[in-house]
Amino acid sequence: MLSKQKLFPWIFLFAALLIVFAPLPIQAQPVERTVRIEAGDYAFSPAVIHANPGDRVTIELVSKDVVHGLTIDGYPDINLQAEPGKTARTTFVANRAGTFKIRCSVACGSLHPFMTGKISIGPNLLLYRAGGLALLVLISGAVYSSRKQKAAQ
Amino acid sequence: MKKPELIARIFLFLLLIAAGAAGVIAAVPAFGPGSGEIHELHARMPENGGWSLDTISAKAGQPIHLRMTSDDVLHSFAIGQSDRPPVDLYPGKWEETTLVFDQPGRYTFYCTRWCGRNHWRMRGTILVTGEDVETAAQAETQEKPLYLALDLNLDAPHNAEIVPQREPSAERGRALEQRLPAYALDRDTYLKNSPETVWKRLRTEPALADLDDAALWDAVAWIWARQTSPEKLAKAAGLYATNCAACHGETGKGDGVMVEGLPRFDPANIHKEGHASTSERLGNNQMAESEMGLSAPGDFTDPKLLLGASPALLEGKLLRGGMGTGMPYWGPIFTEEEMDALIAYLYQFAMDTDAAVQ
Amino acid sequence: MSQFTVQEHNPHVFEKGAASHRNPLIYSRWPLFIARAITLAGFVLTILAGLFGSVVGSQNFAIIFVWIAWWTALKLLFIPLGGRSWCAVCPIPMPGEWISQGGIFPGGKKIGLGRKWPKQLTLGKLGVLNLHGTWLQSAGFLMIGLFSAVTLTTPALTGWVLLGIIVLSFGLSLVFEKRAFCNHLCPIGGFTGLYAQAAPVEIRVKDRAVCAAHTEKTCYQNCPWGVYVTALQDNGPCGMCMECIRVCPHDNVSINLREFGKDFIESRKSSRLDEAFLALVMLGCVMAFSAVFLGPWGELRRAAYQVGSANWMVYAAGFLLFAGLLIPGLYALLLRLGGPVEKFGKSMARFSRPLLPLGLAAWIAFTISFAFAKLSYVLPVLSDPFGRGWDLFGTAGVVWSPDVSIISPILQAAVLLGGLLWMGQAARRDADTARRALFIQIYGLMITIAMLFLLVG
Repeated sequence: MLSKQKLFPWIFLFAALLIVFAPLPIQAQPVERTVRIEAGDYAFSPAVIHANPGDRVTIELVSKDVVHGLTIDGYPDINLQAEPGKTARTTFVANRAGTFKIRCSVACGSLHPFMTGKISIGPNLLLYRAGGLALLVLISGAVYSSRKQKAAQ
Repeated sequence: MKKPELIARIFLFLLLIAAGAAGVIAAVPAFGPGSGEIHELHARMPENGGWSLDTISAKAGQPIHLRMTSDDVLHSFAIGQSDRPPVDLYPGKWEETTLVFDQPGRYTFYCTRWCGRNHWRMRGTILVTGEDVETAAQAETQEKPLYLALDLNLDAPHNAEIVPQREPSAERGRALEQRLPAYALDRDTYLKNSPETVWKRLRTEPALADLDDAALWDAVAWIWARQTSPEKLAKAAGLYATNCAACHGETGKGDGVMVEGLPRFDPANIHKEGHASTSERLGNNQMAESEMGLSAPGDFTDPKLLLGASPALLEGKLLRGGMGTGMPYWGPIFTEEEMDALIAYLYQFAMDTDAAVQ
Repeated sequence: MSQFTVQEHNPHVFEKGAASHRNPLIYSRWPLFIARAITLAGFVLTILAGLFGSVVGSQNFAIIFVWIAWWTALKLLFIPLGGRSWCAVCPIPMPGEWISQGGIFPGGKKIGLGRKWPKQLTLGKLGVLNLHGTWLQSAGFLMIGLFSAVTLTTPALTGWVLLGIIVLSFGLSLVFEKRAFCNHLCPIGGFTGLYAQAAPVEIRVKDRAVCAAHTEKTCYQNCPWGVYVTALQDNGPCGMCMECIRVCPHDNVSINLREFGKDFIESRKSSRLDEAFLALVMLGCVMAFSAVFLGPWGELRRAAYQVGSANWMVYAAGFLLFAGLLIPGLYALLLRLGGPVEKFGKSMARFSRPLLPLGLAAWIAFTISFAFAKLSYVLPVLSDPFGRGWDLFGTAGVVWSPDVSIISPILQAAVLLGGLLWMGQAARRDADTARRALFIQIYGLMITIAMLFLLVG
């Protein structure tokens, strides 16, 4: 006879697996996309870029003050270098989905190590799934503590 | 003292002395090979002090050893009017190079990677002294630049009154070469006259009366194209991108990133002190900068601007800079060939002069 | 094997009875001394590199080793695995301790006033400043937050800060007993003591009855931290130096392996309000640091960097309000929503333990996000600590940049979720009602979602 108590861990395990592995429907078709990014004063502008998986993305890097670089975590072939008067361009296919950090790759002063932005290719599945798991942790925690309280009474 | 205590203290002091010694060795910069003088040169943005050495002195023929690094952003070390490839200086990384100057004189070293608004001010001098006084004296007396010989006023407005309706094309103008008078193909004419002036003279030629205005402009474009070559234009394109585009714009419109927000330069409004006032406001915060004399350059793609300027005038502006606008002076930086090529390249913004010379 | 009793002076090694299997790593004072000598020499090198080395942070031993190498080791190894184990080898108190105890090994002529640390400081009309507990350490860590953007990127400033700390610690050792700086001022020691309770090691007495009969309390006399070992119930005050193990005449102290976070679940004395406040300040700080250093907000980062400017004043006010008031206040609110509370401070203190696994996980995740990409600087800077172009060990040109773009965010998310799970366990154990436990866990969820957004969002 399966008591509720024994059933709960399985329910939560199943929910967790669902959250981690359930595929989300593919929403957007790949398109051609051009983004102009200005780099200056230790920041990229815009600092957050969105693209669909499979997009052909062209990045134009315009520097406003000194020599800046641009690399994207997870896309090792991209390495732009731009300075005032010399806009750099590159085109790539966003075949790797996820949210990746954009970094400046040429030492541009004291805050250079923190000169970052991010590019989201497709929905940020890691964030959604982890958030879902966190919610599940709360719910399961609430269930367990209420059961504990009932048992103590 | 007990033996273990003694051993422990000795061990501790040895480690501390090792750490301290490393510090002392690092703090004394002149630790290095002794042959010849080694100058340690730090590159910094002009706002942070510029080159750590303003002047390097040497004798003619004496090798100058330089050990260079950057203390803040990416800089580069280059010698003006020289073929030496620039040496990129990355922050924290060291480069070594050796220079030798056979001729005495003043040489300029400068930075070739943009390092902020004051990048062009990052220049230093290498003073090379020699025993041969005559050579030194000869080096001093160079040819006077043309704008001085012609007594041109570099700061006066030079807008063309007559402008072409469509962009003049050297390719179309080439077909007219046989019909052009001798003076039109003379280098002297090219140097001393603006395209507009040459066009006006051609317009008075009875032999060319059957050509319409546009065809004559094409002929002028061809006259300009003959004075240069695609190879020189390609080289000049690189010079422009490295040195000029930051202010003058990658498309020549005077909209480079370094002049964003500055008022547009209007020579008609120069005050006695040489500061340009504003006739057109482009953004906020101009007051301080217009009083400092900084302004955005004119639009090279506007035919009124370039077609009214002679190569001699442009050479003068490049050599002397100034004009109360923040335009740098390039005299010590470009060789004569580079200057010629660059001037020819500038006209490309108003005329299509990129045509192969047969 | 010779036998020594406590009365005979042989201060560097103890062997009791005929037992020859005493682990020399524990019972000999040499291993700890060698470790401390090395860290002290490294500390001196760090200060010299900071003051005289390259001004470019990535080429300077001070920046890379303090803010990348040591910080990562502290957060990922020393604390989670060893509790306050860094404190056992930290060089900062050593010059003071060696001078005040009269030698590297104890037993020499003591120097110094040996005063007790005052309980409070009367500031005239302003009132009384509580000097005990971790209030000063909370304030210290908030100060670090205000100036961190500049300190992390300016080698000279790092050098001066470290020099100032060791001089301060030394001075305090001449006036006060025990490890005055470590116990009451060190901002690192503050949170290390809190998170040490998660560690799988502990130093405890074996049999309390033995201690009850022992009047001399040798352990307390010899503990550099002033800990009364019999009464030690959690890892917070213990610096893991194992001196008590060495000096106990009855060999009644041992270092034990145990399950992670045992201190969270064993019933013990209640937490203090100052510990609760520090735990909350640490949560606020990790979120603020994540936003400033790892976020895409250039304006915020610049404001944090331009110390002294108007923008920085706004940043400073915002940071202090957020970490010092908003985050603690939010917890107080949620506790109140969880049920009736007694005196405000008492319930904050009573329910503060769940904040510890949450905070530890958040800082570990932050460290992974911050440091993994920069670990590649460690090898080159070992060969060229001053950024002069040296190559002492041949590693100056090593370029090692593994692609961590997939594994690092997953690791961070997993750590954050683990912290939330662990917090839930602690909350369910400590809370008086299920509703209270729920609201504590809601707070944990909010912090976790915020950190997820900041780090992997």
